[in-house]
Amino acid sequence: MKHTPLYETHLRLGARMVEFGGWEMPISYPSGIFAEHLATRKSGGLFDISHMGRFWIGGRDSLPFLQCVLTNNAAALVPGQAQYTMIPNESGGAIDDAYLYRVGEKEYILVVNAANAEKDWLWLQKFQPNFPGLVLEDHTGKMAMLALQGPRTKAALEAVLGDIRSLIGPTRNNLATTEIFGTRIYLSRTGYTGEPVGFELFLPADIAVRLWDELLAAGSGKGVVPVGLGARDTLRLEAGLPLYGHELGKDTDGKEIPALALPVASVAISFGGIKGEFVGREALRQQFQEIILRQEGRLEIPEEKWLVPRTIFPVLVCGDSVARAGCPVYVREKLAGQVTSGTVVPYWRVEGVGIRARPGTETDKRVICLAYLDADLREGQKVQVLVRDKVAEATIVRSHIGSEAAPYARPLFPEESALAISG
Amino acid sequence: MNPKEYKYTREHEWISLESPNRGTAGITDYAQSQLGDIVFLELPTPGTRVEQFQKMGEIEAVKAVTDIFTPASGVILETNQDAANEPKIVNEDPYGAGWLVKLELSYPSELDAMMDSQAYDEMVNVGG
Repeated sequence: MKHTPLYETHLRLGARMVEFGGWEMPISYPSGIFAEHLATRKSGGLFDISHMGRFWIGGRDSLPFLQCVLTNNAAALVPGQAQYTMIPNESGGAIDDAYLYRVGEKEYILVVNAANAEKDWLWLQKFQPNFPGLVLEDHTGKMAMLALQGPRTKAALEAVLGDIRSLIGPTRNNLATTEIFGTRIYLSRTGYTGEPVGFELFLPADIAVRLWDELLAAGSGKGVVPVGLGARDTLRLEAGLPLYGHELGKDTDGKEIPALALPVASVAISFGGIKGEFVGREALRQQFQEIILRQEGRLEIPEEKWLVPRTIFPVLVCGDSVARAGCPVYVREKLAGQVTSGTVVPYWRVEGVGIRARPGTETDKRVICLAYLDADLREGQKVQVLVRDKVAEATIVRSHIGSEAAPYARPLFPEESALAISG
Repeated sequence: MNPKEYKYTREHEWISLESPNRGTAGITDYAQSQLGDIVFLELPTPGTRVEQFQKMGEIEAVKAVTDIFTPASGVILETNQDAANEPKIVNEDPYGAGWLVKLELSYPSELDAMMDSQAYDEMVNVGG
């Protein structure tokens, strides 16, 4: 099994280690998944995400290559910006979802899922002969990656890096190059937790332990804790973010999930003129057209021929039956789809209202999921989830968390999310 | 750290005797550590008749759900409502405040064939 440069550090911190995508990684530290989730939402979390695949893309053909193999318009990035994107196949499905960071004039880092890194690498290499001026290198081993997510992490980061105001823009997807310990690192405002404040850092593997220790030391007085893959999953699920193998790839029946079944795909796929031709473009464009026609009530082909018959929705479950991936979902006793990811998450009870809302001192928990359901369903729809022979009442919601009261992400419940949409 | 006077199952439950035919049962420290944060408990209703090693309930942790088996045959007398309301008690004190059920034993001799703490320690440490 592969180890990140922080393997010994995780053991020293008492982490429970598990296998994930060929890597031996911390699932949680001794305080547990719940405490790590809550700490991230109220203060901050430090994550070792060095297991994710990092491909270095450079040379004069870097942009044409990226435009061909990814769904988003890489030309929309200036140096110092990042975007969510997908690696499409020819049939309108996703080989993986990914994040693209433009770190230089011609240099990019593409971050992919650990479990898919090898498959992605082989796929991308197939296109290399078409781009003689392309530099494509796997930097997963020589570069480490940390995430620092949560409302108090900017202060923790600045305790180590100094004032970052002049370094990096204040909004999501900004990216900067800076120096620490005499070596170059990249810092971006990105993450996988739904936190309004969050950073990811790319650094040479040999300074990973030192930077981790300094960030943790700077953050510990502010409530920042190390967070394992367990809470990384509950945080991303609460944020409604997809995970390949659940919301992307194959569904529980083994059928490919069309990329456009994922609402977030709309920001990750470009059909513009600058983007031009790319792998799978025609299949994706047909999916897109179908969705638009359906939204306008002008789709005339019969339902059994729809390209995107189902969509990923956030669902809040009443009670304490924990819906897991594969649980069937019904609407008025008719099968409407399946749960793709389900778990129970803790949350801070909110004090104050509107933009003054902030986490209080009391906690509670709720069962949430993402589900792949008939595309004509709407927010507010009551559904029933079958959880191990028991029927659990549930509701399709707009989102499980909201970030209008930044720097805090706060839990949303159906009544509120209905209000938020009408207001 | 597994109490010496308790008996253990291969499924990581324990039972202790309060009198010759009354016992308290729960899950072991190893079981709770493997499960991680326990979030919900489903326990049998008092009065339920249970048979040794059969399923009597479920434990839901953040990452997984697992069945709870009764370590001995008998009738459920009481379930731990504090633990049902706040399941993390089971993580924090699996052999004490985190007990799960009290039962009236039909065949106290069943316990004679169960693992003692030493045998259980060995099983857990060799990864059984």
